[in-house]
Amino acid sequence: MTWSRHHSQLTTATAPQLWERWTNAAYWQLDDPGVAWAQIDGPLTVGTTGVVKDHGTPAQKIEFTRVEHERAMDFVIRLPLATLTITHDMEPAGEGMRTTHGVVLDGPLHRLYAALLGGKLARQLPVVVRNVTAGALKR
Amino acid sequence: MTDDVDVVVVGAGLSGLAAARSLQRHGLRVKVFEALDRVGGRVDSATVADAHVDLGGTFVGPDHDRINSLADEVGVGRYLTHDAGDNLLLWRKDRKRYRGAVLPIGATSLLDLARIRSSLERMSRKIPVGRPWGAPDAAGLDAQTLGSWLTAKHAGQATKDLMAVVCKTSWGCEPSEISLLYVLHYIAQAGGLDPMLDTRGGAQEQHFVEGSHEIAVRVADGLGADTVRLGSPVLRIDWSDDAVTVHSDDGPTTARRVIVAVPPAMRRRIRFVPDLPAAHRRLSQRWSPGVLSKIYAVYEAPFWREQGLSGMTISDEGPVFITFDASPPDASRGVLLGFIGGDYAREWDSVDAAERRMRTLSVLADLFGERALKPRGYTDQRWGEEDWLGGGPTAAPGPGAVASLHARLAEPVGPIHWAGTETARRWAGFMDGAVTAGERAARETAIELTTTTPDEKARR
Repeated sequence: MTWSRHHSQLTTATAPQLWERWTNAAYWQLDDPGVAWAQIDGPLTVGTTGVVKDHGTPAQKIEFTRVEHERAMDFVIRLPLATLTITHDMEPAGEGMRTTHGVVLDGPLHRLYAALLGGKLARQLPVVVRNVTAGALKR
Repeated sequence: MTDDVDVVVVGAGLSGLAAARSLQRHGLRVKVFEALDRVGGRVDSATVADAHVDLGGTFVGPDHDRINSLADEVGVGRYLTHDAGDNLLLWRKDRKRYRGAVLPIGATSLLDLARIRSSLERMSRKIPVGRPWGAPDAAGLDAQTLGSWLTAKHAGQATKDLMAVVCKTSWGCEPSEISLLYVLHYIAQAGGLDPMLDTRGGAQEQHFVEGSHEIAVRVADGLGADTVRLGSPVLRIDWSDDAVTVHSDDGPTTARRVIVAVPPAMRRRIRFVPDLPAAHRRLSQRWSPGVLSKIYAVYEAPFWREQGLSGMTISDEGPVFITFDASPPDASRGVLLGFIGGDYAREWDSVDAAERRMRTLSVLADLFGERALKPRGYTDQRWGEEDWLGGGPTAAPGPGAVASLHARLAEPVGPIHWAGTETARRWAGFMDGAVTAGERAARETAIELTTTTPDEKARR
């Protein structure tokens, strides 16, 4: 009962560089063309909340559901009868790191949201991953 | 005072070299100045893990008569682009095999794409080749970008994304950046979208055994010692009705005519004294080049052929969005050529060499499997970073820059004539257009210099 899309890319950015880019909400609007602004309420741990404001939509409350230092970070946005999870993973691969971002929809209305939002979210993933890795390399 | 030469040619790309060669055949004395330390302009080559690769212009079609003829004359051979096997489409996170030109994007998207293609073809047939400003409602077409037109026609997302692929490949830009009139004229001068985009029977049908750059090298060699001066940018041209003085690092060179064979935007790098007319100045400001970069990954063998793949792919993810199998005719190496254009290129060009390589190989691995991660050799070419070229593969004028300025591209100003692929009547933007334009500029110049009566000029 889920719909998901992921995008992976190899990069020369290091785990600390990627982690810094993921966990600083000030970068999210630079890396994701859809984001107007974002904030994280307090130190990052499972259960920490925050807010993401996309262009043209109301601000959404987020909650972090997975925080593994320099390895993974997920947060969820609760929608009526569905949950949107934004996933971030990294792992060493060859001479660099493989970083993977994903969008996962689940819940009774996941198909509806996939039809309404899924295509756009999935299309943005490669751009966001490239922006994140390029930004990480500047650190 | 005796002129140093009859004609100075500025730029030793294919166009400038073709002009110089043609001028010599008219018995005229020629000097060619080139800013770079090599000939070829937007064609160049490299050897990567014992494989020859074309860093710039690569492909030719069956009716690219002038470049093919020139290659024949200097002994550079051609071979068919490898297209046996299945093509791949990486689309919406799915990796699909297909054959022929029908993309597996679903019936609805295919119908929408066919509708848009048909509209573009129909509209392009109303554009006079070589005279886009003479098209019905030229200014209205020129006021739109390809992107705004696609939106106005309610093109679906798949069609928009595929037209972006065409745009990135052909002009190194996004649909939102380029004049619709320019696009339509480009299609018209190529004889339609199929000849422009296809491999078999189209402009990607063949490439050169020794490489396209070798043509430029051999033509330059044939011009004779001291004809081509490398590493000598022309920064100023003084001109009067019937004479020019061309200033380079070598000092002034006097001549009766000059042929400027550089990309339109690079004309701005030359100070003309007196100034060029206002429209000619605007042309060089507004006809900026696109940005198209290329990568080559060289393997022991074309391993994708073992999987029944042709090596041709299209991806909606980037940065590499189109690939070809560019292995040598004997398949002694496996060579993948990838294109990175428009926004992808601006983004990719700006990261360091190690990251560019890793991003590229990451895409090739998505397409062809993990073996793609370990090439024997790798290189990339960022044309947007080339100081004296500014980008490629050709100019990508925005809205409003075509109807009013196209006519100035090849229009002489006093003793100043213009060449370069953009000035060609047909196959502008291709190597064939470069050669045609150089030969046309040489013919114009020779007529002026070797005929005495208006009747004779008209006859020639």
